[in-house]
Amino acid sequence: MKRSYGATYSAPVALWITFFFVIPLLIICCYSFMAKGLYGGVVNRFALDAYTALANAAFIRVTLSTLWISSIATMVTILLALPAAYFIARSEHATVYLFLVIIPFWTNFLIRIYAWIAILGNNGFLNELLLTTGVVTAPIQFLYNQYAVIVVLVYTYLPFAILPLYATIEKFDFSLLEAARDLGATKFQSIVKVLVPNIQSGIITSVLFVFIPSFGAYAVPQLVGGRDSVMLGNIITRELTVTRNWPLAASISVVITLITTCGVLLFMRLQKSKSSHVVLDGRSL
Amino acid sequence: MHKKRGFSLVIFSCVIAFFYIPLVVLIVYSFNASKSMSLTGFSFVWYHKLFFDSRDLWSACLNSLLIAAASASVATILGTLGAIGLNWYTFAFKRYIQVVTFLPLILPEIIIGVSLLIFFAGIHFKLSLLTIFIAHTTFNIPFVMLIVLSRLEEFDYSILEAARDLGAREIDTLFKVIIPLSMPGIISGFLTAVTLSLEDFVITFFVAGPGSATLPLYVYSMIRFGVSPVINALSVVIIAATIILAFSTKNIYKYIIGR
Amino acid sequence: MKVFHFVIVGLLAFFGANCQKDNKSGASKKADTKLYIFNWTYYMPDQVRADFEKEFGVQIVYDVYPSNEEMFAKLKAGGTGYDVVFPSGDFVSIMMHEGMLDSIDLSKIPNFTNVDTAVLKKIKFDAGNHCSVPYMMASSGVCVNKKADGTYDKSWNIFARSDLKGMMTMLDDMREVLGAALKTLGYSVNSRNPEELEKAKNVVLTWKQNLLKFDAESFAKGFAAGEFSVVHGYAKNIFLEYDSTKRDEVDFFIPREGGPLYMDNMVILKDARHKELALKFINYVHRPQVYAKICDFLMLPSINVPAREFTKKKPHYSIEALSKSEFKEDLGADLDLYNKIWQEIRIGN
Repeated sequence: MKRSYGATYSAPVALWITFFFVIPLLIICCYSFMAKGLYGGVVNRFALDAYTALANAAFIRVTLSTLWISSIATMVTILLALPAAYFIARSEHATVYLFLVIIPFWTNFLIRIYAWIAILGNNGFLNELLLTTGVVTAPIQFLYNQYAVIVVLVYTYLPFAILPLYATIEKFDFSLLEAARDLGATKFQSIVKVLVPNIQSGIITSVLFVFIPSFGAYAVPQLVGGRDSVMLGNIITRELTVTRNWPLAASISVVITLITTCGVLLFMRLQKSKSSHVVLDGRSL
Repeated sequence: MHKKRGFSLVIFSCVIAFFYIPLVVLIVYSFNASKSMSLTGFSFVWYHKLFFDSRDLWSACLNSLLIAAASASVATILGTLGAIGLNWYTFAFKRYIQVVTFLPLILPEIIIGVSLLIFFAGIHFKLSLLTIFIAHTTFNIPFVMLIVLSRLEEFDYSILEAARDLGAREIDTLFKVIIPLSMPGIISGFLTAVTLSLEDFVITFFVAGPGSATLPLYVYSMIRFGVSPVINALSVVIIAATIILAFSTKNIYKYIIGR
Repeated sequence: MKVFHFVIVGLLAFFGANCQKDNKSGASKKADTKLYIFNWTYYMPDQVRADFEKEFGVQIVYDVYPSNEEMFAKLKAGGTGYDVVFPSGDFVSIMMHEGMLDSIDLSKIPNFTNVDTAVLKKIKFDAGNHCSVPYMMASSGVCVNKKADGTYDKSWNIFARSDLKGMMTMLDDMREVLGAALKTLGYSVNSRNPEELEKAKNVVLTWKQNLLKFDAESFAKGFAAGEFSVVHGYAKNIFLEYDSTKRDEVDFFIPREGGPLYMDNMVILKDARHKELALKFINYVHRPQVYAKICDFLMLPSINVPAREFTKKKPHYSIEALSKSEFKEDLGADLDLYNKIWQEIRIGN
């Protein structure tokens, strides 16, 4: 009896995604194997041009720098999100704090970025503060470089890291930590060896929610990045709109998707084999 | 334990400060007399413009709210049910569903937008608010599913067994045991979906029908000509409204989880 | 679960309301009461739209886009429903090529004769105006903060000044930047000659050393905030950010070498449903008093000759300043040449 319900639960979402996502995705895959139309779109001809164009030093360089920026942004975000989510999970007014975290993100993204520009700019509030207190004698160029991009990426994706972490930490039985302390572990050890392994799935989800979008980010580098802050998202957008090379944009997307999917599947398989997962009633994944 | 709370409190406060400092700047500029970045004086001119001269802006705002609520709700329902199915059952297409529900997360937004447009055009499905709703639900689903899944993994299965032993039907177990206990995950997923939907520009631009502008569409198109501080004023109004709503729904939340 | 039921009912109501909207195909036979326009933001004063709606008793549904490229990507991928769109010249030829435009019967637009024939002669993207009616002619230029920069030469080579390093931006637009470089070398902005382009690339690379970033969107805000003291951009963007009190501090000029010029045009899409009304609208725009209002709003020179009597404000630059500038034309397959060079400038070496 239990077996039959699995399909029932998953059928609605499976149907929806198949119809509204898989089919469009197949269109993109097909496009990546076709020839570029002169003014955008594709011509009904099989061609591998879109894939051979990827073997280009400039692309690889941009990919690496995008990887670098999004990795750093992800690390910083997770390091900030963990204590924050922990705090919310352990407090009595969790809903209030969650709303507090989310509310700023219901205002328009562009306005918030402009607010950051007003804060970090050469004539901005931060530089004014540093100048008037005499800490520096000339304004510091905070904006229009990779660091600004990282800071704003962290800002943009932090709530998406806090929410999943909160959901898992909330379920955690904190008496386990006390038990560990009683058995002689230091505070640090108890957190690393007891708390972290048990909220693993939450951490993985948060990493995915931050790394993947920041890898494909294009608005943030465009707004606060400098002349060399070109990320992969900018390239895809440019290929689709300016160069009107739809197959190339499609092929970049297909490649990113394949690599990320394989990477994540591999990572999850490694995690599953490492952790001591108790299997009940054949419910292993 | 106390020291750890202290540390996490410090980080949490820093995070909140990090989130709210731009907000304060935003609010300050909404009262700025001029449009430029220099503060020239206190004025309500943008609020005046907002309430008396912005019919298009309000209709875009309404569209955004409608779509966010609808797409987040549907995505939460589909995603939660899907997560329950994936977590505890094995069945024919499980692998397929696991991979496929995860993909919208990875694909770049502009590609999702253009491919959905090509798809809708191909099946002659007229562009409108409905197409925006479909697109938003589609990209919200992986977020909800992953959050609920990670919550469900820590779920104590013996409670379900106990419920079944006591004679509960599947549907009772679902509504009276699983959902209440996963509520934090479901709420997190729902909030994430609402936020994503309210903010989306790229996908919405491509699948929106004529006349169905949402707030991001309206604002991003201003980017080349200077985003008017009317948007700042609108943001302040939205924040105020949300806070009021949040405090009044605290009671509804308590009702939902049945405490 | 009452909340659950409420949600389901709400959704069904939402769907129901939307499905009704879908049955519009039979409505085209009725008198045109709605006009669907797709335009750049802030490109037409609200007053002009409101006046049109009142005079003709119709409703205008007005959507906006941030750039030609995104508008084209959307229409090409299948976005339908619009009647009048405002592409720039090079996109008019592209859209004609792709069969997206309806031919315009100029006899139905009597006010077309108001357009300056000298300007019409320069148009190569749609010579004879079969599918487009010019709307606005404009050019990018250079805007300088007079306080910060002292004396300067009104030329594109201001970007070669290393003393202004780190305070300048140029547009993130391949045609604009390469066009400027080509002009300083005396070549055409529509050059297809690889050697000329290579030389232009080197010019841009020297300029790049002094630039803080390439920005096609926020340069105006940054300039107004004092982040940059020299920007390459469009006059209306910059002056929309500035209060009239501060306008004397800035100087906007078209460099003496000339540069890429663009013409935004009104076109009617082939699958438009309200073609009669669209023609009436285009005709309305070129009424002298109406066009003068638009010019005053955008502070751009008027290509409509009788309207020049009615304009109240002086534009940022005159038509004479544009004498050396050329319209950007579509490059066809040679766009790839420009792409490669632009990519090398932006992310290579």
